[in-house]
Amino acid sequence: MPDPATSTPGTPPPGTQLGGPPRELDPTLMAVLAHRFEAIVREMTNTLFRTGRSSIINMARDFSCSIITADDQLFAAAEGLQVHVLGAGLQTRSMRELHPDLAEGDAYLHNDPILGNTHTADHTILVPVFIDGEHLFTTSAKAHQADCGNAEPSTYVTYVEDVYAEGGLVFPAVKVQEGFKDVEDIIRMCRKRIRVPDVWYGDFLAAVGAARIGERRVKEVVARYGVETIKAFVREWLDYSERVMDQAIRKLPAATLRASGKHDPIPGLPEGVEVNVTVDVKPDDGRVVFDLRDNPDCIPFGLNVSEYCARGGCTIALLNCLEDDVPRNAGSFRRVEVLLREGSIAGGLVEPYSASVSTTNVLNRIINAAQSAFCQLGEGQGLAEGAGAMGVGYAVFSGTYPPTGGAEGAGSAATGDPYVSEFVIGNNGGPASPYCDGWITYAMPDCSKTIYIDSVEMLERTYPLQFRSLRLLADSGGAGRHRGGPASEVIYGPRATPMRVFYMADYARHPAKGVRGGLPGTAASAHEIATDGSETQVEAIGDSLLAPGEWIRGVEAGGGGYGDPLEREPAAVLHDVLERWVTPGAARDVYGVVLSELPGAPGQLAVDEPATENRRVELREQNEARGQES
Amino acid sequence: MQAPSTAESPVHAGQRSFDPVALAVITSRIQGIVRRMTNTLFRTARSSVLNTARDFSCAVVTREHEMLATAESLPIHVMAGPDLVSASLARLHPELHAGDAFLHNSPYHGNSHAGDHCLLVPIVSAGEHHFTAVVKAHMADIGNSMPTTLWANARDVYNEGALIFPGVKVQRDYQDIPDIIEMCRTRIRVPDVWYADYIGMVGAARIGERELLALGEDLGWDTLHAYTGAWFDYSEEMMAAAIRKMPAGRSVAQNKHDPLPVAGAEDGVPVKVTVDVDPENARVRIDLRENPDCMPCGINLTEATSRTAAMIGVFNSLPTTVPQNAGSFRRLDVLIRENCIAGIPVHPASCSTATTGVADRVANATQRAIAELADGFGMAETGTLTASVADISGKDPRHADSPFVNLIIIGLTCGAGHARGDGWLVSGEVGDGGLMMRDSTEVDELLYPIVVWADEIVADSGGPGRHRGAPACYVEYGPADTEIEAMWSTDGYVHAALGARGGYPGAPARQFLRRADGSVEPLPGWGEQLLKPGETVLATSAAGAGYGRPWERALERVERDVADGWVSPEQAEEAYGVVIRDGELDAEATAARRAELAAQSPEPPEILEVEHRSREISDRLGPYVLGTVPPQ
Amino acid sequence: MSQTAGARITCDIGGTFTDVVVSDDSGQMTIAKALTQPANLFDGLRAALQRAADELEEPLAQLLGHASLFIFSTTQATNAILEGTTARTAFLCTEGFPDILVRREGGSLRPYDYSRPFPEPYVPRRLTFEIPERIDADGDVVTPLDEQAALAVLTRAREKDVGAVSVCLLWSTANPAHELALGELIERELPGVPYSLSHQINPIVREYRRASGTAIDASLKPLMQRHLPEIAEGLREEGFAGELLAASSAGGVVPMDELIESPLWSVRSGPSLAPVAARTVAHAETGSGDVIVCDTGGTSFDVSLVRAGDLVFTSETWLGEPFAGHLTGLSSVDVRSIGAGGGSIAWVDPGGLLRVGPESARADPGPACYGLGGTRPTVTDSALVLGYIDPDRFLGGKMRLDVGAAETAVQGLADALGIGLRETAHAVLSIANERMIAAIHELTVNEGVDPRDSTLVAGGGAAGLTILAIARELGCREVLIPRAAGVLSAFGGQHSDIVREMTAPYVTNTVDFDYEGVRATLASLRDRMAAFESELPAGLAGELQRRYYVEARYAYQVWDLSIPLDGEGVEDEAALTRLIESFHDAHERIFAVREPGQKIELSQWKGRIIASTVKPPLAAEREHVASEPSARVAYFPETGEVELPVSEGAQLAPGEDVAGPALIVEPETTIVVYPGWRAHVSELGNYRLELKDA
Repeated sequence: MPDPATSTPGTPPPGTQLGGPPRELDPTLMAVLAHRFEAIVREMTNTLFRTGRSSIINMARDFSCSIITADDQLFAAAEGLQVHVLGAGLQTRSMRELHPDLAEGDAYLHNDPILGNTHTADHTILVPVFIDGEHLFTTSAKAHQADCGNAEPSTYVTYVEDVYAEGGLVFPAVKVQEGFKDVEDIIRMCRKRIRVPDVWYGDFLAAVGAARIGERRVKEVVARYGVETIKAFVREWLDYSERVMDQAIRKLPAATLRASGKHDPIPGLPEGVEVNVTVDVKPDDGRVVFDLRDNPDCIPFGLNVSEYCARGGCTIALLNCLEDDVPRNAGSFRRVEVLLREGSIAGGLVEPYSASVSTTNVLNRIINAAQSAFCQLGEGQGLAEGAGAMGVGYAVFSGTYPPTGGAEGAGSAATGDPYVSEFVIGNNGGPASPYCDGWITYAMPDCSKTIYIDSVEMLERTYPLQFRSLRLLADSGGAGRHRGGPASEVIYGPRATPMRVFYMADYARHPAKGVRGGLPGTAASAHEIATDGSETQVEAIGDSLLAPGEWIRGVEAGGGGYGDPLEREPAAVLHDVLERWVTPGAARDVYGVVLSELPGAPGQLAVDEPATENRRVELREQNEARGQES
Repeated sequence: MQAPSTAESPVHAGQRSFDPVALAVITSRIQGIVRRMTNTLFRTARSSVLNTARDFSCAVVTREHEMLATAESLPIHVMAGPDLVSASLARLHPELHAGDAFLHNSPYHGNSHAGDHCLLVPIVSAGEHHFTAVVKAHMADIGNSMPTTLWANARDVYNEGALIFPGVKVQRDYQDIPDIIEMCRTRIRVPDVWYADYIGMVGAARIGERELLALGEDLGWDTLHAYTGAWFDYSEEMMAAAIRKMPAGRSVAQNKHDPLPVAGAEDGVPVKVTVDVDPENARVRIDLRENPDCMPCGINLTEATSRTAAMIGVFNSLPTTVPQNAGSFRRLDVLIRENCIAGIPVHPASCSTATTGVADRVANATQRAIAELADGFGMAETGTLTASVADISGKDPRHADSPFVNLIIIGLTCGAGHARGDGWLVSGEVGDGGLMMRDSTEVDELLYPIVVWADEIVADSGGPGRHRGAPACYVEYGPADTEIEAMWSTDGYVHAALGARGGYPGAPARQFLRRADGSVEPLPGWGEQLLKPGETVLATSAAGAGYGRPWERALERVERDVADGWVSPEQAEEAYGVVIRDGELDAEATAARRAELAAQSPEPPEILEVEHRSREISDRLGPYVLGTVPPQ
Repeated sequence: MSQTAGARITCDIGGTFTDVVVSDDSGQMTIAKALTQPANLFDGLRAALQRAADELEEPLAQLLGHASLFIFSTTQATNAILEGTTARTAFLCTEGFPDILVRREGGSLRPYDYSRPFPEPYVPRRLTFEIPERIDADGDVVTPLDEQAALAVLTRAREKDVGAVSVCLLWSTANPAHELALGELIERELPGVPYSLSHQINPIVREYRRASGTAIDASLKPLMQRHLPEIAEGLREEGFAGELLAASSAGGVVPMDELIESPLWSVRSGPSLAPVAARTVAHAETGSGDVIVCDTGGTSFDVSLVRAGDLVFTSETWLGEPFAGHLTGLSSVDVRSIGAGGGSIAWVDPGGLLRVGPESARADPGPACYGLGGTRPTVTDSALVLGYIDPDRFLGGKMRLDVGAAETAVQGLADALGIGLRETAHAVLSIANERMIAAIHELTVNEGVDPRDSTLVAGGGAAGLTILAIARELGCREVLIPRAAGVLSAFGGQHSDIVREMTAPYVTNTVDFDYEGVRATLASLRDRMAAFESELPAGLAGELQRRYYVEARYAYQVWDLSIPLDGEGVEDEAALTRLIESFHDAHERIFAVREPGQKIELSQWKGRIIASTVKPPLAAEREHVASEPSARVAYFPETGEVELPVSEGAQLAPGEDVAGPALIVEPETTIVVYPGWRAHVSELGNYRLELKDA
């Protein structure tokens, strides 16, 4: 399949050369229109967020909206879930190919990973926007569903050999609205094959609403400025974005970087999955090439990565490592080349392999490998690895409401009704950077901080379950000159009826690595707690059936550190200890910072400068000794 | 729920108002149309389940959704079903246009089970909807999460994984709607085979459309609709007449579906049928409401198969001259309830095996209940299929490892003894009324990388009786230098077919796995088995049961059974009271033995265990299968 | 000398200036400003009052003595939070959930920016204490409150000498017992230390929002409980004997004690008076209709909305940047504030695109034209280059601007862009406008308001400079610049009512609607409202108004729409049907889709009391001094450089028209009348600007 990021757009206007100012459109109007389109996507986003029915949409905001040009160039995207938006052009292409007769009033449901979607759980609503009969843009609302009709009640299934075993409904850009009205046949099919149909339909309406709002606003803008101006703007804006990307890449040193990451072993894959990334940084032609071809073939598990996700992942890694804030659209992506191999686990998805978990596990390994590779460019470059455990804090949970009713919010459901959704309550620590410590509410590499967090109270109101605790763990962030973000520990269980939870935590055996002397973050784990309080650790990728009185405890992973912990500012270590991010013991033994009470101020800690000096010398010697041994 | 009542329908008026000759002529023309539909699909289909086993049916339904005509169709497909899907279609798509075609397999909207794809084509002339052509075919694959179309262990419709089409428009203006085709291609295994079979169905339905339109133009639509009324009235009268000849009374029969790994079904699923025959008012009432609620597995019946199973039981007990259509159905009241394994399923209950399993138990109990009313009526219980009818899937090394999946139908001998004779040998479950065909071994081996080692009758397995049940067959097959996944759902493994009026039960199903090292181990009643090269499945089907006391069976029939090796001399003497020594009938000993039996009138055995007979065959075949026979 | 009996005085104590507006029965309005004195707010206030008194030529004591009403608003709370000068506050939470304030609700505006550290929580973890207790969603006690452990916590808190305590326990909204018990313990163990309980501050579900608001509230108490009484006392000493009210972010005023009780309501209370002012003026000038309100301060631009005569509310008021700042969680007047102002710096990015902000030159070094060492081009520089600002009369002539410096700065941009100096200056203004336009768009479209059918009311110092350009982009045909544009909030105070909202949670739905339960709920709500009304200072309130709302959502949604009830409640099926329809309509208006037949859940029932206060008439007294307008050169894209008339606002008589292009100079602002527009001085002395062809 051709690559939207590198395919050439409409012929560039005469006289646009890199670095030079745009010629066709006056700069004022450029900025004006850019703001307009941003605002439109923000409004789409707000619509979906406010009207969604499942917690994964109306709390976690696991969705994204974007606007794509008629020739499949991603044009505008808000701060939505990043891996969602960066490849949007692939989907409009298959929509156009399968429906040469696009018409105003149409809406398309697309969730086919082979045809350019992320994974089947992301239902994408595509609305082609027509101006005087001409297809100018497509508005897109992509949302992770609470359920997509899989054989098991989970939207991420690891242990499935193919898309059939996965069982979810696959919509290869299926027309779901005609003349602004539902195609009832399709709705009925979904209602019969997707769990809790009312919730699905509500989320569907929310996505349609978002896409239609976008359609309305785009038409208003075009009406205000005229088709020709808008077309010129599209060309100019993409070219402009390309120039910004060009400049940003020119600041990097030339190099060819190689890095690899390893997904944890799982039953059936004793070796885990190793992914390799080669990054070719070419500042002279302002271009970066990611090569994912040297990777294993597709495997009979849900872990295969779709093309959409692979491209998005590489782009995320690059953007993470650039100084400048680059507009994210097909224009800037022209400078990012991603080489894929058909049939490979990394973006070469072929039928009938399953990409059920395409958006997270292996993808997060690819992103981490790529972004940490940039550290090889030298001090001040790249990022550590961010934690990416889809553990108990991100589990898909399901069951039925108690026959006798439940919480105030057995909520919307009648008693005895089924429920299913995904938690986004856990915390994976962000990667430490050359500038600062790891972001706390990082979620995982593919989300790039943008995803929201559930409210414990809202979850307890909506579903018949209860949380026992949710806290961030000391010493969980990888130590370094800059510290990795912390991991969370969460404990929850059902209230009155059994609850099934599916979790898929990578980073349980191979935690997020530190870079440039930084240490790794802590590993993820999952534990079942019986009614008698006894605890058993379980496979971090698996599922549990919890009876009332039983709990599950999950620990996500900590982010990797950047730079040598012994170079961390003692004041920062003191702050960490006071704020309970780091224990005094770790401060002394890992950071080499000795704290003592201020004379005359009991309880008031301060850095003991001389002791710290000695301690750090001591530790350096130990490290060197250890270095020589190994 | 009541079948259409007849209170106000003027039975005789029909014939009077319609010329009997025309009645006969039009009937045969419509029969001809349905036969041509059937032929079209049979010739064009791609998968052996259709082009060889003919596991499909064609029918014509009136605009009032009444079943008008079918030809050699599987009863379980067509008695109730076409009418229900036609009705649901009208509900979901109030506007029907010429050129439309609809794909329908929703168990919650009147279809038999998800494995049967229905293609419905409304016959529309000058904007008016007159009839609906219905083609229903059991597909090789429907996108289940497991490679089978009959999955008794599916927890619910989600777990089952099939694509569900509740009367989805698949053609407009005689053109495919690509969206729907694409969805199937993406989610159904071996899409090309599915599409080819789909095309075959479209062809069959369009043939029906073309010819019905011609007929309508030829005779005039009003005449045609007048005809249907008259034909239904006639059929109802035929039915009434037959019922008036039946013995009055209530009869209750029970049997058990084999155990399932599901709470409440550990030692089988009890099925209970109450039949009330009322010759005076010429009505038969079958009550299925006293059966368990829907279960979290795939055995739940659909509304269509619940009604049909009961009707089959009745029709099996009637003279074959009674037409099977909405007219004759008016005389049957099938009472069912919601959320019942033999009733109306509640979404998301799975109905994956709704055309077999419990359906067979219901039909069997019905016909046996009728048999118990009086001698000369009804039928014993029919046997069931085994791993000799299995979904096989894998990759074919002979064709660049292209994937394949299909339902093979090899062993097919289940017929039950009945009032008028022995069990029909080549018969599938009661649901197929002897209409399903066996695969050709050669064709199967040609199409799929399998080897069929044996397909032979098992002596003594047919339930002894005045009329003997059809004997079981022994089938042994395995992969040809590749691996194949075989999945089957066998009933009749624990609870065999029960005899009627003193007839003996048929022998239960048995199946084994023969390892490459020669060791033989038993296989469960349902299951899935990965067969490695050199491994084979040994499957003995469940035989049909007997009707009437064995010792009352005509001597010469027993002699022939022994001579043909269908019955052993031991069983002849033991059960039939026929003593044969060195191939010669010992008249005296026989008379004595029969007198003895008549005097004791022994209860039929709980189980007719003839496993040793299957063993004999497998031992004999072993060396060939394992390739250890020294070359001559 | 003018008559001031029953005068009504309002003040708005901002970060830099303290505004005072005095109006008498005749509607004669006196405006005065003084510098704010952070140390003792009253000093600044007295200075401003003194100026007003001087202008009215009467002693301050007399002015205050005659005043019947004093309405007070301040940005102190907001500033204290942004500057981090609030009290050292402890946060008490349910055991097991200590990181609510750290993680907020997740999210980030800059997915790829790893150069900024994660924002600190409002209360540091070291001052966060877990209390062994747990209540579930039904309000049942899962784990009883461990008083011993709680006492130990309070002891530790005392050791860390906290100045305030905030308490937010899970599901205290369903059962407040544990929070109340902790309240008693705090009073006993930490006497004199103010505290806030989340179920009292803001009884909403969603732990972060409730906790954040509670923490902010507690942290403000020491400050506000010192300042507010000071001011009250100060005014009394100066002779004020009337009623003392304070602005709240609910878009009205409340007795000052209320604010002392929960200072959270004073956060952003000043800006929320702007729409009140706009509503008053717009209603008087153009009748009803939707009104877009723009208040342009020196460093910020506030947008708010009046929809069909009502203020628009939001529960998403962030202090600081969304996700990184802190959420008040209150349902308060929706005022979108964006950092934009004269100081915003213009630059050309690596892609060759002109950008404005977010970096600002602030007051020091300030824009190049200030001549205080600033060299980078700002919005003010561009306005000067365009001739929209008179260099000799900036800030009423207080500061002389250096045109040359401005031109040099802007020329730099022009060279980089390859376009002319004035074109560049105009581009800078347009782009600066764009962020405001985007803010207005978001606010209006989210509410389903079409800017083209709305009136634009502009206030604030920079109001007149670019408002017409913005109006043209929005498609507004009518713009109002009130006489009191420079002191919009203080003026709003003059015309605000006493507004108090009360909430009663009660869950039911439209499928099996519980008439009895709702009747009972609303009855109890009415009792509470009556109690509040009876507390109101006698003679102050005019007519009392009650409005009822319900928070509604489709089944499975979690975000509510506030739907007004017609009448006192939902008495019968007809009323229910009306409620259902208005929800469907609202949902479709705002979100483009409706789901007929779907169950609608009703969770919170709200009653709003509006006690209208006696307001001054909107009369205008302008002594008309005929004088020839001076002239200067300015640049417009339509006309290029053009000589245009400069009129003195004070010299324009009601009914007089000024055709664009032209400048009108007012003490607080300069109005740029763009080509194609006409400025009309209304009978009430406000400026009505319209497109000529309109």
